[in-house]
Amino acid sequence: MSATMAPTGDDLQQIAEQVWASYLDTDGEKPLIPLPPDKLSKDVVAGVAVRGAWHGLVLVACSATASKEAAAALLGMEADEVSEGDVDDALGELANVIGGNVKSLLPEPCTLGLPEVHNDAENDPWLAGDEICRFEATWMGEPMEVSVLEKPQGGETA
Amino acid sequence: MVIDDSRAMRLILRRIVTGLNFDVVEAGNGREAMDRLTELESVPELALIDWNMPEMNGLEFVTAVRADKKFRGMTLMMVTTESEHGQIVRALAAGAHEYVIKPFTPDAIVDKLVMLGLIPDGAHA
Repeated sequence: MSATMAPTGDDLQQIAEQVWASYLDTDGEKPLIPLPPDKLSKDVVAGVAVRGAWHGLVLVACSATASKEAAAALLGMEADEVSEGDVDDALGELANVIGGNVKSLLPEPCTLGLPEVHNDAENDPWLAGDEICRFEATWMGEPMEVSVLEKPQGGETA
Repeated sequence: MVIDDSRAMRLILRRIVTGLNFDVVEAGNGREAMDRLTELESVPELALIDWNMPEMNGLEFVTAVRADKKFRGMTLMMVTTESEHGQIVRALAAGAHEYVIKPFTPDAIVDKLVMLGLIPDGAHA
């Protein structure tokens, strides 16, 4: 990838903070804190594939607790009312919005796939690839991570 | 009409436009939206349309709606994460009236609807 076209961790931070301010922290009481958590988590990983002039995945990974809190915030419900389908929908949409904004930083033309959500993805082959950049944060005391993985052209993104 | 494959995003948009006194019909993709349009007694005043959806995407929906004179009165606004200039041009060329990039604030939606003349200036979501 051309160095001038590669997104950076700072780009991911800026995008993630905009998404949180718009949808998950509208009242400023649940900010995304740009401090690496003690331990990252891949309990829930949502991703969108980017295909075309660049090939890879934009991923949002977090703990099960954070995924339920995110779904609750987006859907206007309590975390203990959230179903697995709600988590898939909410985390998928977060990955979609972040992925679309990351795509605008990548070489053109590229297309964005539909979101996909994997549980317990620590050793998931889906996550094989070269990490281009990452942003680690803490949200409501839980680990949250946004990353961009490049895959070989013709490789599996989904 | 709110057309998005994400229930969370449909809910967010529903909250905003119901706060502006719109009644809302939802659809999970362009195909479902076309089906709903044929069932409805009157044509919605406004459609908020995501781009990336299964079955029929937002651009295909805009093209299909613009090909049917019945729906000429419906204002089409893309609400999408597709932020490249080329994509915006494609959507507007296909017949979308306005374009909002995700993430958006309620005020961004309100401002566009004021600009389109669908709500009075000073309206709040």
